[in-house]
Amino acid sequence: MSTDARTRPDRERVAVTGLGIKCPAGNGVEDAYGALLAARSTASAVKHLAEAELRVTIACLVPEFDVEPYVSRRERRQIDRAAELLLCAASDAVADAGAPALAALPPERVGVQIGTGLGGLAAMEGNTFDHGADPMAMPVHTVPRTMANSPASRVALRFGLRGACTTYATACASGTTAVGEAARRIRYGELDAAVAGGVDTPVTTIVMAAFAKMRALSARNDEPDRASRPFDTDRDGFVMGEGAAVLVLERRDLALARGARIYGEVAGYATNCDGAHIVAPHEDGALAAECMRGAIGDAGLAPSDVGHINAHGTSTLLNDRAEARAVERVFAGAAPPLTAFKGVTGHLIGGSGALEAALALLCAGRGVVPAVANTLGSPEADLVDVVIGRSRAIESGRPVLSNSFGFGGQNACVVLVPGPGARGTGNG
Amino acid sequence: MTTAHLRGRDELAHVVRTAVSGVLGIEPEEVDDATDLHDDYGIDSLELMEVGARLEKALAMKIPVSDLTSAHSVGHAIDLLAERLAARS
Repeated sequence: MSTDARTRPDRERVAVTGLGIKCPAGNGVEDAYGALLAARSTASAVKHLAEAELRVTIACLVPEFDVEPYVSRRERRQIDRAAELLLCAASDAVADAGAPALAALPPERVGVQIGTGLGGLAAMEGNTFDHGADPMAMPVHTVPRTMANSPASRVALRFGLRGACTTYATACASGTTAVGEAARRIRYGELDAAVAGGVDTPVTTIVMAAFAKMRALSARNDEPDRASRPFDTDRDGFVMGEGAAVLVLERRDLALARGARIYGEVAGYATNCDGAHIVAPHEDGALAAECMRGAIGDAGLAPSDVGHINAHGTSTLLNDRAEARAVERVFAGAAPPLTAFKGVTGHLIGGSGALEAALALLCAGRGVVPAVANTLGSPEADLVDVVIGRSRAIESGRPVLSNSFGFGGQNACVVLVPGPGARGTGNG
Repeated sequence: MTTAHLRGRDELAHVVRTAVSGVLGIEPEEVDDATDLHDDYGIDSLELMEVGARLEKALAMKIPVSDLTSAHSVGHAIDLLAERLAARS
């Protein structure tokens, strides 16, 4: 790998200086990282889904935590769960990066870039149940509470950020899209910093029923913690998750100048679309492969530079097979170790890409590729090197490719290069 | 709920304090006649409309937006509402 390839006169380098996570694997970065290494699923039975007699009654939920320190009672009444989780994760990320340092930047040079697959659908579902019989009795804040850009806008107003505030909807790829687009805006000089991430809270009766109708979800209701098993021979669908993850991205030269902790860099990004089927991935993975190649090339790297792959790996038959074929196309028999966090976290839809980017960066920095939870053997083992059983040690500091593929044929890939701040303390 | 239960100013004040505190995420005891929703809490227009919606429901009456926006304190708002209620009965 040539470090010089990342230094180009036409672009700024983009550093990751803050992380914040509210996800099923934990409400702190190190908690979630530890859960990944333990490779234990967080899925469990969900009472309200069983009461509604859904075909699927399991999901991965964010562990309860005290929201009061993050969001006032007054504001909580005006926002939905998605905005709440995103605000909490963003607050953690901004604090981690150093709130005073961010506040010292010109506010019009700091943006908010957030991905969400569902937007306010889940909240509007609740409104429909609560006020369907008497719509004019609904709360006055219903529109600002359910609009798709509510989470991003809440972050901007919380921190007084005046740069580009954009909400991306690329279904399951939304979080990766947001991180990649944020990096581009910094790279090409539009922003000095961005609060970038993703969120979704899809574990509601109607949303879950809708996904269950597609047979996209695992129906292992009687053994929830064994249900999500990316790339496994007996996988039968994904397990829904919820949560938010946020990365603070900064122009690397400014971050270095202020002595910020540098987790690493968003070095490459690419996005494209299968343009073939509204939900099924292209079987041969050609466009997904093109997207991976694009991200690796954008980082000034070759496939052989990639130290490990953080797969989209949903645990559906079609996704994992197509993704494995795509990886094989790019790495031609020499694919590095591949892991998939969704065995632990479930699928956070718009939250997944950001969560996986954040945690994959730590894995790359610490030279550890966690085993895929629940996966015992893979029919794709001839195509990809799925890490099974126990975590794999790799050379630390090598770039990681993080993939996200969404309904609609949405493909988004980022390449992250770890820095000294990713190593942490005592995590080897 | 009917307005028959709310003839007294104290009862009306209780309804208003409950609506205001619910929207602002505070305790009803923190709201009194002297409370200025703009100066003390920076209430925004949507929050004010939500207070109005809650009062309309609790009092089973229409409340003009002008009553909400013209009141310079909670006590003033209660007086305006009392006038409306009196005019109606």
